[in-house]
Amino acid sequence: MVRYKRFAVGVMLMMSCLFAVADSTISVRDAWVREAPPGAPVLAAYFTLENPGSKEDKLVAVLCPDFDQIEMHATVIRDGVARMTALDALSIPPHALVKLAPGGHHLMLHRPRRALTAGMSIKLELRFASGSRMTVVAPVRRAESGPVHHH
Amino acid sequence: MVTRKALISATLVAALGVILVLGVLAGRTFREPARAVSVAGMTILEPASPLPEFRLHDQNNQVFDRARLQGKWSYVFFGYTHCPDICPTTLVVMRDVQKLAGGKEHGIQYIFVSVDPDRDNAATLGRYLPYFHPEFIGATGGHSELMRLTRALGAYYESGEAQNGNYEVHHSAAIFLIDPEARLRALFAGPHDAARLAQGLQRLKGG
Repeated sequence: MVRYKRFAVGVMLMMSCLFAVADSTISVRDAWVREAPPGAPVLAAYFTLENPGSKEDKLVAVLCPDFDQIEMHATVIRDGVARMTALDALSIPPHALVKLAPGGHHLMLHRPRRALTAGMSIKLELRFASGSRMTVVAPVRRAESGPVHHH
Repeated sequence: MVTRKALISATLVAALGVILVLGVLAGRTFREPARAVSVAGMTILEPASPLPEFRLHDQNNQVFDRARLQGKWSYVFFGYTHCPDICPTTLVVMRDVQKLAGGKEHGIQYIFVSVDPDRDNAATLGRYLPYFHPEFIGATGGHSELMRLTRALGAYYESGEAQNGNYEVHHSAAIFLIDPEARLRALFAGPHDAARLAQGLQRLKGG
């Protein structure tokens, strides 16, 4: 019985290794969704992408059944004016970290299909140009303070 | 319309530039304090620039005009509720400023002016703003009245083109500080920092 259990664990470990290899080398962390103020029909999601590999990859689409539409955006402040630009793809260069953070790149989540409040979470499916896909769980949070400035 | 707004804005920026340059020159020649001084992320107008009359309404459908700025210090930010990133981010900073500098009881008010009156009305603002702080004031109105205020502050906004039934509104990222005589006293360019915003007002009140 014990031996069988070990065997099962071994198989599971092997399978998870296989999945890891088959999957993209890109990793995603610190995903979160900013809770929308009442009446606001748009939310923003943020996360950090890391590409430890030596090839560029691109985030080309994000899917989530909880929203009518999802776009990748950059907030750009030029000549004192904040503009949002929709991006077709988000490049993740080799050996680079790409941060989506308040005041910069973000996912714009249009028209939530269910009320999303702090404490809940959503699943985002990230699709990359390399063909890999991954699902990330993003908790909904109230933003408690502004962007952190690193000097 | 977009082009016209852009043109008006460009003219305004140019005019403001000329006024500032002339002001600086005048200051040099006649030693009069007509200039803009930048200190710790804050641009102080010397002398403060009086605002014209304008007529907006707040989230309770009460008139929001120049008189509502008198007798208090006001932090003013332009935005819209369909803005997922920079507007809530800035309003969270404003909430932190409120904690540091104080609110009504200290004679300080926080005003979010929606430059998207086609989608934001009193009811929209009334639901949206208390989420950040119950004291926050939301104001909006027709474009001509909004532009009386934005022009006077050197602020800018412009609606982008609609895509998939949605459009963005490009708007000034600055927070404007209005003095109790309803004059533009200072402005803060982004990215915003609550401590810097609170200290800026402290400096102006003290000096």
